[in-house]
Formats: sequence, structure tokens, C-alpha cells
Amino acid sequence: MNFRISIKYIFSILTIVFVIFILAVVSVIDRRVTSKLDGVLWTVPAKIYSRSLEIAEGGKVNINNFLKELEMLSYEESSNPQNPGQFHYKENNIRLFLKGYKKQESGLYEISFEGNKVKSLKRQDGIRIDLISLEPMPIGGMYPSHMEDRLLLDWTQVPDRLVKILLAVEDQGFFDHYGISLKSISRAFFTNIKAANIEQGGSTITQQLAKSFFFSSEQTLKRKAVEAIAALLIEFRYSKQEILLAYINDVHLGQSGKRSIHGFGLGAQHFFGSSLKNLETDQLALLVGMLKGPSLYNPRRNPMNALNRRNTVLGVLRRDGLITEEVYMDLNIKPVKTIKPSFRSETKYPAFHDLVRIELRNNFEEEELRSEGLSVYTNIDPIFQASLENNIVLTKEKLVKKYGKKLEELEGAAIVVDIQNGEIKAVVGSTNPSQFGFNRSLNAIRPIGSLVKPFVYLSALEKYQDFNLTTTLDDSHLSVPISNNSSWEPNNFDKKYHGNVPLHKALWQSYNIASARLGIGLGFDSVGKTFKSLGIKKKIPQYPSLYIGSFEMSPFEVIQAYQTIASDGFYSPLRSIRDITDIEGKSALSYPYKIEQRFRPEPIYLIKFAMQQTFIRGTARGYKQSTIDKWNVGGKTGTSDDQRDSWFVGYAGDYLVLVWFGFDDNRPTPLTGRTGALELWKNFINDINPNSSTKTILPRINYVWTDIGDGKLSGPKCKNSILTPFIIGTEPKNIPSVRRRCGSMLEDESSSVIKKLKQVFEKKKSETN
Amino acid sequence: MRQINLIFLYLAIILVTSCASTSKQVPTPTNTMELDVFSSSVDQLLKNKDFLKSEILKINASKPSIQRILNESDGFWVKGNLKRANSELERALRISKNESSVFLRLSHIRLEQGLEVESGSFAARGLLISNVSSWERLLLNVYIKD
Repeated sequence: MNFRISIKYIFSILTIVFVIFILAVVSVIDRRVTSKLDGVLWTVPAKIYSRSLEIAEGGKVNINNFLKELEMLSYEESSNPQNPGQFHYKENNIRLFLKGYKKQESGLYEISFEGNKVKSLKRQDGIRIDLISLEPMPIGGMYPSHMEDRLLLDWTQVPDRLVKILLAVEDQGFFDHYGISLKSISRAFFTNIKAANIEQGGSTITQQLAKSFFFSSEQTLKRKAVEAIAALLIEFRYSKQEILLAYINDVHLGQSGKRSIHGFGLGAQHFFGSSLKNLETDQLALLVGMLKGPSLYNPRRNPMNALNRRNTVLGVLRRDGLITEEVYMDLNIKPVKTIKPSFRSETKYPAFHDLVRIELRNNFEEEELRSEGLSVYTNIDPIFQASLENNIVLTKEKLVKKYGKKLEELEGAAIVVDIQNGEIKAVVGSTNPSQFGFNRSLNAIRPIGSLVKPFVYLSALEKYQDFNLTTTLDDSHLSVPISNNSSWEPNNFDKKYHGNVPLHKALWQSYNIASARLGIGLGFDSVGKTFKSLGIKKKIPQYPSLYIGSFEMSPFEVIQAYQTIASDGFYSPLRSIRDITDIEGKSALSYPYKIEQRFRPEPIYLIKFAMQQTFIRGTARGYKQSTIDKWNVGGKTGTSDDQRDSWFVGYAGDYLVLVWFGFDDNRPTPLTGRTGALELWKNFINDINPNSSTKTILPRINYVWTDIGDGKLSGPKCKNSILTPFIIGTEPKNIPSVRRRCGSMLEDESSSVIKKLKQVFEKKKSETN
Repeated sequence: MRQINLIFLYLAIILVTSCASTSKQVPTPTNTMELDVFSSSVDQLLKNKDFLKSEILKINASKPSIQRILNESDGFWVKGNLKRANSELERALRISKNESSVFLRLSHIRLEQGLEVESGSFAARGLLISNVSSWERLLLNVYIKD
């Protein structure tokens, strides 16, 4: 009796323990399932995009750059564009089937060019429109540690065709079962028994989803049991629609480097460079087919496998009546085409990403960036970026060829900004620009050499009652006592003294002694104030060599200061990001165009004149006058002591570009600003060929002829004369006696125009009389 | 009624601004007094933000593509969505850098956002454009604080 009671007792205890155990297991699985489906599954890394290119009727556009942009956006040349992502270019005319972006509808458009202008924009129906927008290019993301990446879709973005293909191939009874299909399991069971191996799975879509939550692909009975419980729980907790959408967003479709491609949304972008809605049936069939083995059926690595698998799926669609025999025959012979992986791979443009990350981390937590599905729209111009990356490599190669192996370790940095609004268009931080690492555009703090001079000269020109472009500066020996027994004695690059020189010439010839003397005369307070107004935030050291560039700055800090000059005295903080939207496309944060007038336009006008002379007759000479006028260029070379740093900063068209070359260990180079940095500047600018830019016209500026040598009044027919701008009322008044004859105003061009006008007027008068 | 008054004042301002640049007549003492009274009315009017906004909304862009963007921006602005209005204006500037109509709008929007210095800077930037009309110049000058 006691024995029977104890057995019954033990049995009851074991039953309770078993039930508790089962409940505990179910509870653990349930928690895992719900946490995945409610949370982690929807972990979407922030995506980073380039700017969207917009072209307007009558607007300026460089056709070659436009075609490059189409290539980078994975548009394909086709003689008869009929699908999104195709175009045809012939004789200044492009027929372009846009993929569609935000308000820009997908469809066929016709763009006609005339020179570098857009002559007309038309829709397919012939109606003229004034603006079209290309989609921005994905350039990377902020991926979590497991590197899962996806583009989260909602039902409006999922084509019906995909659902039909998916159910036909993966789970025909999806809407009838409760997570597990006994029919499928028994079919798989008998197949596997026959083969004495596990050859076929009987998993439903719900089971496959459950399986993906446990990060393991082993096919043991225990695993199957867990998946079955998970599948039942998923079906119990979620609707069929929710399950299917989760599956569509979660499926694994391959790897791109370390990045794991999840979901059909990202799969469509990754393999076809298009949105899921724009895919053709054969493309959808391939994606669905790839689920069986993303690596085995990867169309890039194993195109034949992919083709066969796609055709198998097409066969299923024909069998189930989803496509006709005729369509099947058409699609069956289509080749498998994917876009070039380099344009849609993981994070590119490392130096630019550093800038983006810095700006993002001021406003977002790391976790938000890795999981909230933010879209970060940046200012990067992929054409400029590609050109800058390419040209820094080519320029270094040329320099190594010219100067020998000692330049093999040469490093460099370059930044391109839009002058007006401070948008950063391109940046490189190394002569090996595609690799992540030390970003010299931000972190190389180097003596800026003569790049400091425009700041000093601007400080003088602001005091326009005392200084103008022809004010005489003394470029003779200078000795400045700096301690009891020592003094500082600056030298010119050519080791010569140049006596009295006009202010503008001292700048474009980059005379050190004249500049040092000017700075000392102005004083630290005055020059320091100008530095601050230009946007230089760091503390200014108070030693005289500051005025010829012993001051250290990063390329990023230097270009910020030059942006203020290039934009006529308006400071705008440099920005890499334009706008950030949340997962639903609503604006989460924007980085608006900020502007502050820091200088009156007239002194800036004068300094820009001197900076243009750098190109006409100074250290950056070499361009034709017509090119100088077209781009309205201006700039400054910089070389630090012992040629340890080679700098150039200059503007052309709407863009300001800064270049630095040097060694990381600070050893001397054989380069000056002209022979090193300027070379890259020119290669880049010639390549992008910016649109023309017009000079600002200021009513308070008057031009008069002056002599380049002594800066005094001259005339158009005198040798060495130059038309020089002055703030009205500050022009030199008296012409030296030696130039009275050639500088006579009667010989002036403007006088001859007036003379001709008078003649016409008098002729008219006599006619009326 | 208020609208009619505004129209009259507007016409009077145009008359005065155009006369100011061409007239060489020496005003009589009576005229001077009337002009003083009138100038102070103009001053008062230009201090009226609603009036300024309504005038700016009437100023069109020189290019149709920019006008299309301005229409979108104005739609947001009228509804009080300054952020979206601003982002459309920035879009317009990327396509065409020298549109005084855009700088006028940016000046006023910054003022509504309480950013007076920036408002003045946008106006000063707009004044550097070569083909600004006298009326636009007058309006831009309103935002510039000395």
C-alpha cells in the first residue's frame, strides 16, 4: 500500500515537475519570439544617403557628370527605356526612366541639353516640366555588431506578385495552418526516410521565421521541437498578415562583406539597385529562389546556379497558373542581371563618414543610430567624391614618379565645400582614400604656412581708411627681438628682399617679410579679431611668426575660415548632413543653412581680387584668362618651414577646395604649395569642370589703373599696369610724372567710349536740326 | 477696408521710392512736412510683420522651376510649418544661388524663428544679388539691423 502511494506520489511530483518544465520552456521561447517580433526584428540600422541631384529647366549641368551619376545609381543604357532604371543618351538628349523618389514619380522623361544647360525637360506625354529629382545614392549605414542590415517595408511597399510567388514556392497552405503543417512534415519525413538523409524540410513560413530567431541552422529533433513550439506561439500571438510581413523583412539573402543582407527590400536594392515594387517577375522569382541557399544561388558568385534556380521558381509559377506559358517562355530565356556590387556595397567614403558620425553623435545615442531605422540625408556629391578619391591617388602617383620613392609614404587630405551654404561635398583623409583610419582632413594639425596671409591682409583691408590694395609694404630685412639675446628674422622663400611693394603684390607673391611687418603693425588684437570672425575657434598664439603661418590648424579648420572669405564675408558652419528622417519618413532632425555676416563685402572684394591675382600672375599661375574669368577663381598656396607641408586652397565656380600634402612624421618634403597641393586642386577642378560663376558687383567699388611695381596711379597703356579695385574715395589721386603720358585719362578706354557716344549724340543732334 | 488702405499705402511707397531715385525737385516746406508724415507711416507699415509677409509672398522667382519650389515652401509657411518651408527654400537655393525672392523669404522666416541676426544676414546676402528690384531692396533692408 505504502509502496503504491509512494509511486503515485512520485509520479504526481514528476508530472508537476514536467509540466513546470514544459511551461518554463514555452515561456522562454515565448519571450524570445515576442522580443524578436516586437523589437529586435525591427532593428534597422541608420542608412546614410548622398544628396539627391535635382535638375531644372534652364539650369546648369555637366552632362558627363550627369551620366556618371546615372551609372553610380545603377541606371542601365538601353536603346528603348521602358523600365525604371533605364536610359538612352544620344546627341545632347537623354530619355530616362526614373525610379522615383519621394514626390518624384517614376516614369519616362526626356532631358535635352544645350551646352552645359538643360534646354528642356519633358514627361513621356510631351508635357514640359521644370524640375526632376534623381534618387539619392545609399553610401553606408550605422550597423549593429551582428551587422544585420535591412530596409524595413510596410504592406504598401510589398508587391502582390511577391506574396504570390513566395506562397507558391515556400508555403502553399500558409493561410490554412496554425504554424505547423502536418502535410508538409509527413511529405518531408517520407522523402528523408527514402533518402536516408535529411533532404527536404517541411517548414512553414512561420516555422522558418521562428528558426531565424535562434541563430542556428542545425537540423536536430530538439531544434525542430523548439521551432515548432515557437511557430505555434507566433501563430497564437500574431495575425497571418503580421507574420508574413515579418518574414518578408527578415529573410536572409546573402552577405556583402561583413554586412548581412536581410529582407526583400534591401535584397532588391542590393542585387538590382531598385525598389521592390519596381522589380520584374523574373527578378522577384530569383530573390524568392535564393531563400533556399543565399550563397549557393547568389547571382553574382554563382550565376548559373542562380539562373537554374530562378527558372525552377518560374516553373512553379507556370504550374500554379500564376504566369502563362508564353510569359514563362519569355522569362525563362532572360539572363540574370545584377548591378555592380561596388556601387551598393557597405559603407564607402570613410573620411566623409567620420564627419557624419561626429555630427550624428551630437544628437543621437549610438543605440538609436543602430536600430531606429533613421535615414540620414547628407550633402555629399558622389561624383565629386569619386573624382577627389581618384585624383588624390593619381596625383600622388605622379609626384612619386617625379620626385622618387621618398614620396611613397606621402599622405594627404582634401575637402570640397559649397561656398554659399557650407555644405561639404567631398572629403578624403588619406592618399589611400577607401580605407578607414587616421583622417587627416579632421585630425592632422599642421602649420598652415602662407595660408594665414589672406587673414592678416583682410585684417588690414578692413581698416580701409588706412589700407588699400596699393598701400606700400616694406619687404626689407626685419629683425624682431623675442627674448633678451635673440631675435626673429623671417626670410622670403626666394631668400631675397623686394623693397617697397604694393599690398596686393605682397600677397599674391606671398612675401613673408612684408606680411610679417604688416601683421606686427596691425597687432595681435586686430588680427586675432579677424581670425575669430573668419570662424577660427582655437586660441591664437601671440608670437610674430603667426603672421607667416607658424600657426597650426587642421584642414577642416582652415577651409571653414576660407569659406567665410569665398562667400563674400558670410560665415556658414560647414555641414555634412542635410536632414534626418525616422523610419516612417517623418523629419527627425534637420541641419538648416545658417549664415552670419562677419565682414562688410568691400574688404572681402579686395582680398578676393588679390587672391585671383595668385592665378593670374602669382604662385598658382598657369590657367588661361578665359578660364579664370569663367570660374571666377581665387586661391592661395602655402608651404611651411622646410617644406614639411604643401597646402593649396582655392575656389572655382560654386566650390571651395582645400588640399594638404605632407608626411605623418613631419619630415620635410620636396614639395611647395604650388608643386604639390595645387596639382591635386587643378586635377580635381579640371575633372569636375564646375559651372561658371559671376563676380559680385558692388556699387562702392571703383577700378583704376595702378602700377604693379609701385602701386601708384597708372594707365591702360602703361607697362605693368593693372586695373585695381578700390573702395570709392580711397583711390590714389596723383599719377607719377613718368607715367603722365601713357596714363593720360584721354587715352583711357572708357574715355574713348564716351568720345564715341558724344560723336553719335552730336550726329543725331545735327540730323534733327 | 484695411486691405484697401494697405493697397493705397503700397502704391504710395512705390511712388515715393521711385521718386526718391529720380526727382531733382527741391521740396517746399509743406511737402517736406507731408513727406515726413508719410515716411513715418511707411516706417510703421514696414514694422508690421504681417504686412511684410504678405508682400514677400507676392514676390515671384525669376525661374519657373524655382517658383514651383517657392509655391511648395509658401504652402508650408502659411500653415506655420517653418521647418519644411525652410527646407524647400534651401532646395531652391541649391538649384539657383541668386534668387532674391528666396533670400527675402529666408529673412522673414528667420525673424519668425526669433533669429534676428541670421535674418539680417540673409537679407544682406540677398542685397549682393545684382538684379534685385527697388521694392525687393527696400524690403530686404527692413531686416538689416545696424
